[in-house]
Amino acid sequence: MELHEIIRSLRPIGEEPLRIVAPGKMPGTASGCFPGSAPARGVSECILPESPASECETLGAIDPLQVRIVAGAGTSVRLAVLHTQPMATHIELVAEEGASIALTEIFTAGAAAELSIRQAASSRTHLTLVELAGAEVHCTTDLAGGAARCEQQALLLVGGEEQGLLTLRTNHLVPDCTSRAQVRGVAGGRATGTFRGLVYVAPDAQRTDAGQQCRNVLLSDTAHIDAQPQLEIYADDVQCTHGATVGLLDRDAIFYMRQRGIDERQARQLQLTGFVSELLQGCSPEPLCDALTAAVGERLKML
Amino acid sequence: MLKINNLHAAVEDREILRGIDLEVRAGEVHAIMGPNGSGKSTLASVLAGSEKYTVTEGSVEFLGRDLLTLPIEDRARMGLFLGFQYPVEIPGVTMANFMKLAVNEQRRFRGEAPLSAAEFLRLMREKSKVVELDAKLTSRAVNEGFSGGEKKKNEIFQMAMLDPKLAILDETDSGLDIDALRIVATGVTKLHTAENATVVITHYQRLLDYIVPDVVHVLYQGRIIYTGDRTLALKLEKEGYDWLINDYKE
Repeated sequence: MELHEIIRSLRPIGEEPLRIVAPGKMPGTASGCFPGSAPARGVSECILPESPASECETLGAIDPLQVRIVAGAGTSVRLAVLHTQPMATHIELVAEEGASIALTEIFTAGAAAELSIRQAASSRTHLTLVELAGAEVHCTTDLAGGAARCEQQALLLVGGEEQGLLTLRTNHLVPDCTSRAQVRGVAGGRATGTFRGLVYVAPDAQRTDAGQQCRNVLLSDTAHIDAQPQLEIYADDVQCTHGATVGLLDRDAIFYMRQRGIDERQARQLQLTGFVSELLQGCSPEPLCDALTAAVGERLKML
Repeated sequence: MLKINNLHAAVEDREILRGIDLEVRAGEVHAIMGPNGSGKSTLASVLAGSEKYTVTEGSVEFLGRDLLTLPIEDRARMGLFLGFQYPVEIPGVTMANFMKLAVNEQRRFRGEAPLSAAEFLRLMREKSKVVELDAKLTSRAVNEGFSGGEKKKNEIFQMAMLDPKLAILDETDSGLDIDALRIVATGVTKLHTAENATVVITHYQRLLDYIVPDVVHVLYQGRIIYTGDRTLALKLEKEGYDWLINDYKE
């Protein structure tokens, strides 16, 4: 199935703010209520179904203007957002205590998206961000409660004359939070990919554990990748790593594959697919992940 | 099967192979020995088509075709296999996917239908036994995180999967402990038939206890300076190369 078909088949996210509530928290309300239930004070509430199998709902949207999701304490929610138009989107995610949010965001056009994520104590977020075209994405994550954890995986694929931009800012505002970001970029043609990463550690955010890695491959002499991972640390008991590399395809690996009978074009594809596929492993649900992997494979052929 | 005639090859204007003559027939096992830097690995890489080297003179015929004009992958598809001294890691590409593509590309070249997923799995299970390769390795990324012994076993596993006409094994024994050496060498011997040929490049006689060569060559300064039978390897092990190379030292 195509990406947009899969996302269209998910429960739609409305434009109005949505709050996910755990079963039992609001007795008397029908389960599986979104979208369309009358918003109370501008917020529509959604009760998760009781059945454990569907405990983790998946909501989807294509080209939304804005999305605001609050995952109430202890709830889990998965979101998939597809951008197919060159327009601006604002996405706001709030994970309350112990909540978990997984967002897969895919760009097939030069859209601009602003993402802001706020996490309370012991919450989890998992972000998979894939630019299949040169989009502009700014993501800010505030880790505002102890033992919150965020994992972010981003893939930037640009070709032709495209410009792709990704900014990841992670603010460790309180002690004992963990953040991981892995960014991979592939640029071909005359395209430019820009990555700006910043891990900010507030003065009392002790025992912060943060890692930000950005690896890139250039497919042509005229392609360009600008990777700037930065750390801004005001606490002294922290563990922060960051790094960025920009390189070409591994000639030795291509020789190795060709020596086994795989032609050069396929060997390059295989290597590139391998380079990016590690990044897509955490994405969910599975049909979406499969379609995304296929779309990435197709895109890589054209770079 | 393979006829090398006066082969010269250079890397960045430095001549490494300086007139190699070698003929390998079906059913034969050749061993190429020689001190470090004599050009053994270069010969293997040039035959496989490595772009690091430039052939400056000479010719190579493989199964009746001019090998040097063929692209790397066509040499492989015709049945030339190189066991790498340093197998390359390919992150994110599983062994199974890599081998499936390689096997089916080679089948396509021979006009055979691709293997189905089930047939391929069966083949992989069968061939992994040749070198006692842990089945779990096939679901891991190519050579990534493999131990030295696993990497070399994996080379012979690939050889078993691809069933080449001519296998050139470049120091397949280096970095192996005694058990791994036995497994790898026995694997190579199992794969040997009257229709294929093997060229082993090695420093050590001990590999040749398992893989018994018909012919042993000594390569020095880019030329084969001496050719003998299997007893030559034993003599070299005992006496070193000095008695052979003294006349050639510059």
